[in-house]
Amino acid sequence: MKMATHFRLCVLAIVLNVVCSANQDSINNDLVNSKVERKIDISSHIVKITTSITIENKGSSSVKSYLFVLDNSLQNKLSFIGAVSKSRDEEKKLDVKLTSVANQKDKSFYRIELSSPLGSGKTTTLEVETVFAHVLTPYPAEITQAEKQFVVFNGNLYFFSPYKTTTQSTSVTTTSSNIESYTRTKPVSVSDNVIKYGPFEAREPFTEAELRVHEENNSPFLTVTSIERIIEISHWGNIAVEEHIDMRHSGATLKGPFSRFDYQRNNDGVSSIKSFRTQFPAAARDVYYRDEIGNVSTSNLRELEDSVEIEIRPRFPLFGGWKTQYYIGYNIPSYEYLFNRGNEYGLKMRLIDHVYDDMVVDEVTVRIILPEGSKDIVVDPPYPVKRGSNELHHTYLDTVGRPVIVLYKTNLVEQHIQDFTVTYSFQKMLLLQEPLLVVGAFYLLFLIVIVYVRLDFSITKDEAKESKLRISSLINEVQDAQDKRSALYQSYDDAINKFKSSKDATTFGSSRKKINADYANLTQQISSIQAQLKAEASDAAEKIAELQKLDSQYKDLINSAITSAERLISNKLNKQQYLEADATNTTKREEAESKMEALRAIF
Amino acid sequence: MGNPGGWKSLLTFFILALAWLAGFSSRLFAVIRFESIIHEFDPWFNYRATHHMVTHGFYNFLNWFDDRAWYPLGRIVGGTVYPGLMVTSGTIHAILNTLNIPIHIRDICVFLAPVFSGLTSLAVYFFTKEIWSAGAGLFAACFIAIVPGYISRSVAGSYDNEGIAIFALMFTYFLWIKAVKTGQIFWGICTALSYFYMVSAWGGYVFIINLIPLHVFVLLLMGRYSKRIFTAYTSFFIVGLILSMQIPFVGFQPIRTSEHMAAAGVFALLNAYSALKYVQSFVTKAEFRYIFIMSVGIAASVVFLTVVGLTWAGYIAPWSGRFYSLWDTGYAKIHIPIIASVSEHQPTTWVSFFFDLHILICAFPVGVWYCIKYVNDERVFVVLYAIFASYFAGVMVRLMLTLTPIVCVLAAIAFSKTMEIYLKDDSPKTNHRTSEKDQENKNERLYDKVGKAKKISDNKPKDDDTLGINIKSVIVIAMLMMLMLFAVHCTWVTSSAYSSPSIVLATYGHGGRNILDDFREAYFWLRHNTHDKARIMSWWDYGYQIAGMGNKTTLVDNNTWNNSHIALVGKAMSSNESAAYAIMRELDVNYVLVIFGGVIGYSGDDINKFLWMVRIAEGEHPKDIRESDYFTPQGEFRVDAAGSQTLLNCLMYKLSYYRFGQLQLDARTPPGFDRTRGVEIGNKNYELTHLEEAYTSEHWLVRIFRVKDLTNRQEILKPKKPIKKSYKKKPKKVSCEYRKCH
Repeated sequence: MKMATHFRLCVLAIVLNVVCSANQDSINNDLVNSKVERKIDISSHIVKITTSITIENKGSSSVKSYLFVLDNSLQNKLSFIGAVSKSRDEEKKLDVKLTSVANQKDKSFYRIELSSPLGSGKTTTLEVETVFAHVLTPYPAEITQAEKQFVVFNGNLYFFSPYKTTTQSTSVTTTSSNIESYTRTKPVSVSDNVIKYGPFEAREPFTEAELRVHEENNSPFLTVTSIERIIEISHWGNIAVEEHIDMRHSGATLKGPFSRFDYQRNNDGVSSIKSFRTQFPAAARDVYYRDEIGNVSTSNLRELEDSVEIEIRPRFPLFGGWKTQYYIGYNIPSYEYLFNRGNEYGLKMRLIDHVYDDMVVDEVTVRIILPEGSKDIVVDPPYPVKRGSNELHHTYLDTVGRPVIVLYKTNLVEQHIQDFTVTYSFQKMLLLQEPLLVVGAFYLLFLIVIVYVRLDFSITKDEAKESKLRISSLINEVQDAQDKRSALYQSYDDAINKFKSSKDATTFGSSRKKINADYANLTQQISSIQAQLKAEASDAAEKIAELQKLDSQYKDLINSAITSAERLISNKLNKQQYLEADATNTTKREEAESKMEALRAIF
Repeated sequence: MGNPGGWKSLLTFFILALAWLAGFSSRLFAVIRFESIIHEFDPWFNYRATHHMVTHGFYNFLNWFDDRAWYPLGRIVGGTVYPGLMVTSGTIHAILNTLNIPIHIRDICVFLAPVFSGLTSLAVYFFTKEIWSAGAGLFAACFIAIVPGYISRSVAGSYDNEGIAIFALMFTYFLWIKAVKTGQIFWGICTALSYFYMVSAWGGYVFIINLIPLHVFVLLLMGRYSKRIFTAYTSFFIVGLILSMQIPFVGFQPIRTSEHMAAAGVFALLNAYSALKYVQSFVTKAEFRYIFIMSVGIAASVVFLTVVGLTWAGYIAPWSGRFYSLWDTGYAKIHIPIIASVSEHQPTTWVSFFFDLHILICAFPVGVWYCIKYVNDERVFVVLYAIFASYFAGVMVRLMLTLTPIVCVLAAIAFSKTMEIYLKDDSPKTNHRTSEKDQENKNERLYDKVGKAKKISDNKPKDDDTLGINIKSVIVIAMLMMLMLFAVHCTWVTSSAYSSPSIVLATYGHGGRNILDDFREAYFWLRHNTHDKARIMSWWDYGYQIAGMGNKTTLVDNNTWNNSHIALVGKAMSSNESAAYAIMRELDVNYVLVIFGGVIGYSGDDINKFLWMVRIAEGEHPKDIRESDYFTPQGEFRVDAAGSQTLLNCLMYKLSYYRFGQLQLDARTPPGFDRTRGVEIGNKNYELTHLEEAYTSEHWLVRIFRVKDLTNRQEILKPKKPIKKSYKKKPKKVSCEYRKCH
């Protein structure tokens, strides 16, 4: 038992203050708490104690610091401690550090640095805020669905202090007026949901007396057992935040059956948690809420002026002792949180964010994923945290991986929603790396396809296939030539027609010459291909020979058409005769042409 | 139009890419409407197994003993699963992760089937190209991409063996055709490799290993034996056999079960035949006949006797029950109710042929006709495939899946052939074409005995042609309209029938869509709020889901390998509470999960499945459970006051309707009105003695009950002797401790 306490103390010491071992203080007996007012708020599932202390320096030398000690019963449950000095309507935040005092090893002391040294005989007022989690114990610890939840608060009736206290009073705020029992040390008064003790006069240092309040408390006893918060920064203008949250109903556990009928009809299960509200930054977009087995469809999103509020309904209502788990995430534009000067970048964001009002978080792991190539990383947390070793994260188009900063912290409450800063340097040119990678990959792919298509990788030479390829290419050429040639036939016709209408023999002569030259070229080409083909594909060569034969017939027909046209122009032939000759000529030509077409198509 | 070959390949590439894209995107309805989630039942196991493989490595997966299933027996997962699916997605996951693309394995599992549907259409394209032509191949690829018969098993989220198996099936067939055509060992080996992938992926590989030998056998009968077939089959058979035995789940089955014997027999026959051919080349005809008859007689009797002898000696297992049910549709209902209880094992209705295949089923016989008309070695295969797949599809709804690809191929051939005739633009070269046709006609006329009709066509070729253009365009337009309707039908069927994840339900009311997420609500509750080792009893349908989403131990699940265990659960469900309690104590049950649809009118709930539980229980425990007890004297199954008392007091009834009698859903109906069955329940206001309600989901769809511990014994005042502790009690103690923990 002792070992365990010791261990817990150690953990607390490490977590709350890394340099605690160096601090050693002694109690200054000159200081006196002249007036203390304590407000203990047990209306929710956490206990907030606000202590307003007026200190008087009765010694001769001035005092720089004040020691604050936690009640013995509460010292392992502290989540947050903060102090302000109050003087002339002015509030000033004071430094609070964990310390220890010789001969008082079993107590946890905090040294509050006063804003200015307190001179002899002077007074000043401090306000110390402490928040404790898991202090209210459900009593009874197990309830049925229909029963209400009662909790017990055990504290100290007096202000626990290393100094003498002249006058003090304590007030306890409960959830409702249904108070089962409370310590009746006089003077005490109860009005509605506030129990007032005191004033008590002149108490010695470290005075203790029981303060026990047993009250009905149906506020949501929701504890986040762990959060993993992942912040991923992209220099393309986006910050993605994802939180993996495990939670538990830490109130009185459910005993016996859960009846859906009673839950729906009688509206009982008052201490169960149906839903709660989470707030995100106002710029949050693309909010998702899911868990291991998919999207949780029961949630509502509302956009408020300064935040986005999401009403989260777990898949099932949480009764005492029930657990659930979910992921929630969103994107926010980086310009609100990421600042830069040249290549120096600074990220300023909340270390943890709001999960629900009066939240209790047992442990949190924050992972900050910086862009690939970030260097000289400096982390500045708002309160002491444990820093894990850096990790590497690989995601789309990464090569060496992104640096990940890992931070751990336990025992957090709403007061811990504060900003951290991370500064790092990043070469802007590195932004181009990812697009270039994509371009390069595609370039390579196309290159490989081009090379693959054009090169022959076969280990044996397939003669037949190659000759087939060669033949088909030659035949293609023939077909092309033949197409051009039939176009030339058309131009012959055009020339003749033009000649008939214009009767201009010289133009006709010149155009005819030109066409003739082209025609001779093409015919020459085809016959040369024919010669090439003869060796490889005799049947194709034969077909080409036939084509050539038909072509020469056709050419003859054209020539006869030309001569008859010339004769018509020179009036050696009358119109009637010409028309007849032309008609027979045309039919013959058509016949030849269709034959040629057929031949061409057969190839 | 510089290079026609280039244009052609570009067009082909483009069409295939579009087919892939269309196929992929039409499978995404569920993802868009709901989310990227694993559907239904079996996919949850596949996902869980894949997840296990990805996190623990391949060898640990092969050796995985799952103690969360079939409590207390457990399941050797590595040896009872076709690992192809898991390995495929695991490989994809590993490749993407090495490329630093951090896609969650769930998303890979969800999108695997749609991606593979694209590969299937490629495989079908190549298959059809080999069988008929590239044009028909494109048709077939487009058909298979969107046909509902295949989509039903491959929507996003339906992460099941069939998703990749159809690709493997068609690709194996393509390679086989290629092997038969070329007669190269290379293609034979490729076929065997692809067959290996198929074996690793789906139990349907038996279809391949019977169809290919059948093809060879029929070719032999038709006298189409050739060296090519010999090379292709022997290389495929030997390598395929050895490879298929590498899958732990298959093991020695290929040489020890009757389903595989046909392949071995054909192998022997083919070798004998080719040996005879060889002998034939140097003996006379008379000698040969003698040798032939002798050898055939001896070989046949030896093979037959060996098979019978081995079967008798127990080396070769006789046909399995599932196989019998393929021949006798009534077999399963009598002998194996567990097979008959699955809706996808029911015989197919005529409607579902049209529903799943639409116009293709009409064009399918045309394709078969063309293949028979222009028969060659490959087309024999297609015809055989068509005949057998049609038969099997008629027997079992599930086998519609194997029919679908061949229907697509043959319908594509029909469409392609018809389009070829009616789309060909031959108006400018009429002379040549008609003369050619005349030639054909003349040739045909030689065999045509009736000589009257032909003259008409001879007399007016001109008229035929002019009319032809009109007819052509009319037919082409009609066919296009049909294809368009087909596309519309496919989209509609996919969207309305096959795109529901079935674990998330949606209702459409006046306030828009309302999502009922009860299954996940309850499973998630189980996952987080019961003891890690808690054992959940439910009907086997939900076993995989409880294991996958709830991560809890189940007694029975969808891998229905142990009928008597299922029967025991069935018996517990159909007994009265105290009898059931005894069984549940024996089975160490902590929670009982039932599905109850009476509040929202969900028809697939446990009360509707209840008769199957009774039947299966009766099969093993005929003394305790009798189906007739659950019917009224008139032979009706009813849950209202007129129902049989056995039914109204059995565990399933009591759990489903616990406190439902107090719930009034509607002002017009009495309290306890069951919406699914439309009656007021007969047994209200009872309390449970041995169980208590642990959780009920929002719409009462899933109800979970906790099995209470034994009540405290009365204190024995003065024990005379100290009770000896026997070692036998030790295991019980451990389980007691578990029970205390939660």
